Amino acid sequence: MIGCYVTGILPRPKDLIEITRAYDRNRTSKRELEEAFRKATEKVIEAQVQAGLSYVTDGMLKWQDLLRPFTENLEGLKAGSLARWFNNNTFYRKPVIVGPLHHAEGVVVKITYIELMPKNFLWKAVLPAPYTFAKLAENRFYKSERELMFAFAEVLNREVKSLSEAGFKYIQLSDPGLVYNPLEEDISKDKLADVKEALRITIKNTDARTCLQTFFGDFAKILPEALDFPVDDLGIDLYETDMKELKEHTFEKGVALGLIDARTSLVEDENEIVKVANEIVEAIYPSKMRDVFICPNCDLEFLPWERAEEKIRVIGRATKILERGYR
Amino acid sequence: MNKLFPTQEIGSLAKPAWRVKAYRGETPSREEIVEAVEWGRILGLENLEALKKLLEKPEKTAEYRKAILQWSALYAIRFFEKAGLDIIFDGEQWRSEMYEHVIRNTEGFKFLGYVKSFDYRYFNKAACVGKPAYTKSFYVEEFVFTKNNTGKMIKVPFTGPYTLADWTFNEYYERKATAQIKDFRQRKSYARREFIFDLIKEVLRPEIGRLIEAGAKWIQIDEPAATTNPSNEEMQLFVEAFNETVKGFNCVFSLHNCYSNYKILAKYASQLRNCSQLALEFANRDATQTGVGETRIGYNELKIFEENGYQGNYGLGVVDVHTDFIEPPELVRDRILHAAKIVGNPNRIFVNPDCGLRTRKWEISFVKLRNMVVGAELARKALQ
Repeated sequence: MIGCYVTGILPRPKDLIEITRAYDRNRTSKRELEEAFRKATEKVIEAQVQAGLSYVTDGMLKWQDLLRPFTENLEGLKAGSLARWFNNNTFYRKPVIVGPLHHAEGVVVKITYIELMPKNFLWKAVLPAPYTFAKLAENRFYKSERELMFAFAEVLNREVKSLSEAGFKYIQLSDPGLVYNPLEEDISKDKLADVKEALRITIKNTDARTCLQTFFGDFAKILPEALDFPVDDLGIDLYETDMKELKEHTFEKGVALGLIDARTSLVEDENEIVKVANEIVEAIYPSKMRDVFICPNCDLEFLPWERAEEKIRVIGRATKILERGYR
Repeated sequence: MNKLFPTQEIGSLAKPAWRVKAYRGETPSREEIVEAVEWGRILGLENLEALKKLLEKPEKTAEYRKAILQWSALYAIRFFEKAGLDIIFDGEQWRSEMYEHVIRNTEGFKFLGYVKSFDYRYFNKAACVGKPAYTKSFYVEEFVFTKNNTGKMIKVPFTGPYTLADWTFNEYYERKATAQIKDFRQRKSYARREFIFDLIKEVLRPEIGRLIEAGAKWIQIDEPAATTNPSNEEMQLFVEAFNETVKGFNCVFSLHNCYSNYKILAKYASQLRNCSQLALEFANRDATQTGVGETRIGYNELKIFEENGYQGNYGLGVVDVHTDFIEPPELVRDRILHAAKIVGNPNRIFVNPDCGLRTRKWEISFVKLRNMVVGAELARKALQ
């Protein structure tokens, strides 16, 4: 299939921003805040439906950062200080691991607006990948980052199951930490083997389709090992990836092509997106084509909502054009 | 400066409520007006009746707003003088904020709206939609006013090119590069360079030229975003941008950077040309008990700058701007003495808060600065 979706936290629309700012200054009630979140969630779901995305998310508007639902709700950790979110002018709260990680049932399901999800569409959910979580956390309990990664993978597995039971058909694991590597320190084969094992634990016994979404870094740097990761699809940030290098590999899995740049306000031309997508597809699937998804390179939350909405429409249109070519 | 450990501020001071409201054309509350008058008396300002009248009858005119800016700048100048600082400015009272002030006064930009910084905090982010053009000066009037109202040495805070570009969507140059460069990654990186160097050439250098003409002797380039992208390519870009900005001017330049990765910055600091001082944040990382030596964990990274061969001066952050904790003079003294030991030559150390004191109330800021000045004096005595 040729499909499309968004890949993470969507920006809060203006009205919601205003209410959250007012709430932050004690100028509005919790009830009003909740009402505003609901309204905005309806809006961002509708935008995805209108654009014709193949999988729809709830927009994750409540997520203060990718790790926060866990930072705030898991036992064994506490919220630490603010830290820069990779190379963005955005900050996340560091999870500080102080004891064995233990999950309170379905952390993510609880903060997801399941009742607002559209009935006749396929649903997608997004979780932090075990490697990124372990890398960004401050580990004061486990013997090593590796051990922490495996412990978190177990927690994630229960999340994956509860999301799947709730009706989510597609689960994305966001793994910027795996490819963000500005100091160009080599990532060892052993480490990639550990990542593979952690992913296996994360998604064991699930029917949902899964994707490892990498961003903020060069996907080609984890090739060819990533081709063997036990997920259905591999997500690639094409604004950070060495495209030439990427095209030298043959894929036997689906790909999520991050061709829409969530870190610039310039709206892409769908024809150029289609052209580049076709070039990649031809190169990585020399004999047998697999499923291809068109998507943003990372969370669209870096943009004001209006611009993100325009980009969501481009994703829908580009996917339609691409699809016609393969019919 | 022949004195050891000269004291300086970094930039912003909180804007008093009366300044914010009156500037918007609203009447400050009675308490706010009383507060204005009280501070005016503490700072020894004259003609406070005139200010009181202004505040009681706000107008929505350009002249009125100018008068409010001047009053509030004058307050900040006297505030720093009274605290006893050697090197001052006006607490950036003329500026809405370090980023917005420059972007709003430069052509080629459009604000797109708020994007998330963290939690329920956002910042108003602009896009560069046309080639940046310098149509009017944005710092000169403020500088001249400061110069005319103080006898102290002046250091002008100046938002740097790397930060302006990093905090802005780069639409114009990315669109421009579309036809030339097919590869997305290369296109973005090329467009980023073009943007930064145009900004320097078209806007920042002309403004520096005008500041120097108006009598500026020392400009501090503020680059909070300096280590946001720690890759070698980006750090080289940051260094090149700094060097290009200050190249050839007959003026003292320095750099301020805070809440950043100093391990990275230290590696590149010695490549900054014509940079007389690095003003850095350390107090925020440090313990609060007195003592010289191991206690001073916050200053460990100073060593890295030395090890990497940086030879310029330091603006040593000895006051934490993110807490109301009042640093005792003895703590300030010990931080200075500890740093002097690491650096070896005490003449290379200037003393300042970690960053602008914008988030602190004036009462707190005043005592913090006062103690900083006393602490510097204690450090001088200790070395005599």
